[in-house]
Amino acid sequence: MNSISKHIISFVCAFAALLHAAAQDNQQQMLLPGEQPKPTKYVAIEEEKQHMVLFQGFTLSVDVFGPVSYAVSDYGTAEAALRLNLKNTYFPIVEVGYGKCDTEDFNTKVSYKVNAPYARIGIDINMLKNKFQSNRLYLGARYGFSTYEYDIAGPAMIDPIWGGSGAFSIPNTSCTSHWIEALFGAEVKIYKNFHMGWAIRYKREVASKKNDYSKPNCIPGYGYTTNASCWGGTYSLIFDLNWGMKKSHKRRVNVEIREVVPTNPALEQTIDNETELNDGERRESNDGKQAE
Amino acid sequence: MALATQMLAGCYSNNCPMENTVTCNFAFYDAEGTAIAYQDTITVSTLKPGYKTVYTYRKMGTLPIVKEEPDPELIEAGYTETLSQQRNDTILLNKKANATSIKIPMSYFGTIDTLVFAYRRISLRDTVKIQHSSYPHVELPECGTHMFHHLKSVTATDAAIDHIEISNPNVGYEGATNIKIYFNGVAEAE
Repeated sequence: MNSISKHIISFVCAFAALLHAAAQDNQQQMLLPGEQPKPTKYVAIEEEKQHMVLFQGFTLSVDVFGPVSYAVSDYGTAEAALRLNLKNTYFPIVEVGYGKCDTEDFNTKVSYKVNAPYARIGIDINMLKNKFQSNRLYLGARYGFSTYEYDIAGPAMIDPIWGGSGAFSIPNTSCTSHWIEALFGAEVKIYKNFHMGWAIRYKREVASKKNDYSKPNCIPGYGYTTNASCWGGTYSLIFDLNWGMKKSHKRRVNVEIREVVPTNPALEQTIDNETELNDGERRESNDGKQAE
Repeated sequence: MALATQMLAGCYSNNCPMENTVTCNFAFYDAEGTAIAYQDTITVSTLKPGYKTVYTYRKMGTLPIVKEEPDPELIEAGYTETLSQQRNDTILLNKKANATSIKIPMSYFGTIDTLVFAYRRISLRDTVKIQHSSYPHVELPECGTHMFHHLKSVTATDAAIDHIEISNPNVGYEGATNIKIYFNGVAEAE
């Protein structure tokens, strides 16, 4: 959108410049006898560059998608993140949360329970060209890990040939999982330092400690391990904390406005000669028209 | 947001293994270790815990008839009924012919499985004893529970079997050969 408007503005400016140049040519051609061309006037150009300091404060965010997810499904998280704002462009981030999963398969009646903390570290990069605006569109990457214990239980196992049955329960299985995430998100300013934003995350499990009995079905902070990768999302309430932040300041570049008055006598003479020459040509053409 | 949650939750697919029957896989070789298709028919039965009552009917000039249920008609026909107690057993594989390998299930809670190999051309039988441990396994809750096994030792008698060995001690549903049986004799070169 921004680039389109720039293109339109530049086109309009170029068109105006062309019109202006054409008008000046006409004026030069329409000079009356004894009239001198006007000196060139430089239009003021004022460049204004805003200098942004490196440290732009912290950002504290809370995810509301995780609790809603737990309310409507078997898995959810409670998560908060602290983000460093560097030049409103780079956002190194630490996310910590607590994930909970309590699920039971409808057909097999095998249940899986886990609740444990998790953490992620990574970075978000603001992709908008104008870094001064409060809205942000970013790409990010994360590395996440969680150390947890899960319980699996199910119906009693019955030996169909030799007979006998035994309860099926594997409690407190220790596990550590690692995963990576790639995310795309946006956030908008709602009021002063308060933003809201969403992010879609593509997650891929890198490693999980496995044992002979089972593998984790759901990892806190990651989600279900049914496939090698999964999708997730966050909807965050974001507060920009400006602790210790130095204010950005404007660096103004002033261009002096002045009229160029020809001071060189040789140049003046040249202009006079050209003027006379133009007057003579015009007179001749006017005489020709009258004779006709 | 709730809709998005449901959409994300609805993306999961079933990733359970296609082959999900846990069996101990036996492969057949001749005495020198060449893979063979065993020409004789093989019947594998196993002893189960507990005992059963067996009814044996005898009559002069006829072969004895063994039944697991009483048969009054045989008594009326002049047979003499004898009751005895035998170990419970069941047939796991019935008259498999020309086999290169067989798949036999294992007990969930026992530590030694006793398999009886009966042949058609040989009147003697072989007894194979497999010592193992068992443990439950869950791939995913939606796949259900399975009992996996770990083989500790295996022994066999020598009616038709030259020797026997463990190839892969982990018994799951991957389909790997767990036990190699080397039968007497050497396969003729084709």
